[in-house]
Amino acid sequence: MHIPDGILPAQICAAGYAITAPVTWYSLRKLNRQADPTAGIPKASLLTAAFFVASSIHIPIPPASVHLVLNGLLGAVLGYYAFPAILVGLFFQAVLLGHGGLTTLGINAVMIGVPALVAYNLFTLRHQLRRTVSDRLADGLCGFLAGAVGLGLAALIFFALIITTIPAGFDQVVEQRAIYGLTLAHIPLALIEGSFTAMLVTFLQRAKPEVLQDYRA
Amino acid sequence: MQIQIDEYAHLNSWIHRWDPRYKLVAIACLIFAFACIESLWLLPLIVAITVGLYVTSRLPLRFLCRRLRYPGLFLLGIVVLLPWQAGETVLWQVGSLSLRQEGLVAVLLIACRFLCILTAGLVLLGTMSFLTTIKAMRALGLPVVLSDMTLLTYRYLFEVADSLKTMQRAMRLRGYGAGYRQSSSHPRSHGHSHSHGHRRWAVPSLQDVNRLASLTGTLFIRSYEQSERVYKAMRLRGYGSGYRPQLAAMLAPAPGDLPPWLSRLAAAVTVTIAMALVGLEVAL
Repeated sequence: MHIPDGILPAQICAAGYAITAPVTWYSLRKLNRQADPTAGIPKASLLTAAFFVASSIHIPIPPASVHLVLNGLLGAVLGYYAFPAILVGLFFQAVLLGHGGLTTLGINAVMIGVPALVAYNLFTLRHQLRRTVSDRLADGLCGFLAGAVGLGLAALIFFALIITTIPAGFDQVVEQRAIYGLTLAHIPLALIEGSFTAMLVTFLQRAKPEVLQDYRA
Repeated sequence: MQIQIDEYAHLNSWIHRWDPRYKLVAIACLIFAFACIESLWLLPLIVAITVGLYVTSRLPLRFLCRRLRYPGLFLLGIVVLLPWQAGETVLWQVGSLSLRQEGLVAVLLIACRFLCILTAGLVLLGTMSFLTTIKAMRALGLPVVLSDMTLLTYRYLFEVADSLKTMQRAMRLRGYGAGYRQSSSHPRSHGHSHSHGHRRWAVPSLQDVNRLASLTGTLFIRSYEQSERVYKAMRLRGYGSGYRPQLAAMLAPAPGDLPPWLSRLAAAVTVTIAMALVGLEVAL
């Protein structure tokens, strides 16, 4: 679901970078407030590499391609490291795989990274939820929400961009049908992504709960 | 996974010898200028600039072709789809299909911009070692957290990919996915990463998703445990103590490099070309 080079008008690419910069700055500021900001870097990097590998299997479908995005999961596991991690991951995908692009790095980071931060905040709700339901259910539910909302939001931003900028001269009916079709097609994807995240989160909680500890200082 | 970007960083051309900081700024400006192009008649110009850049960089054509293989699929999709869908002016008609002018123009613009940006990006990143690229970005103000994460991620990509391969093989040996392929008689000589075989296109069952989640979870836990060990080892070697070697010293020019004035001149010329392109585009 990355936007490649050459498709978007330059203004949109610039706007992407203009949004990416303050969000990165905000994330880094949050990280620098921790007792030792370098402590999380090796972990965040290794998990970025793991996400990169886990999502490197993709199916090209113009004008982009589809695979498990895992951005909700990344938000849930990495917290405020998620945005820099996504920026780095997208940079590598663009550079090493030709998936995405250098000019569209900013806009792709916004599309995938901002929903990851939203997912992180959703996932921290599990602490409140645990008071009312069992721990496992709370983790699973919040994991599902994080995964589904992460992908859903990213897909919404993606289609908003594609529809408003690209099809030069597409006729109205085709355009409408395409929007509805693509939106519908992403509902099952969001459900798969949500279930996947929920399963993974409960698996991690069972096997290695430290991975899920919050990065808040 | 095609992972080497700097395998030709040892070659010798003026672009290889260009000071990485100026090279980064200059070619980045050029890339953004390419992204601005909307008029058809500027396309030959940007293609010429790109070809000139690639030829003088002395990178082998093989490198470009290999790099274009995956993005090329996307390009093919656009080329096949867009001219038949977008636009009003019909140029040529076969049955219910009609080739439209506006779509064709859009395809030409997208394809040229795409190829030029990609090639210029390859010239930029393929003519210096990846470490040098990060150092140059660092010198230009990239935050420490980002540069450290980039380097460490690069370091671990290879290991994590290997680790995944090992686990997938283990899953296959224990019979995962065996039920799907009862009918396929040909031996699978490739596709370790597509362990679903021809089932890859079908909607995965909940059980499949659960197995893949466990696989990914194990991958994370292994990575996490490794990262803890790495972090301790790095601490012992002084990481996080605040000591950072001087960047200027790390980026000092090697004997064969362009003299600083020439690096600056080349950057100035490139940036001027980029600005002229944007100027022409706006003027039209």
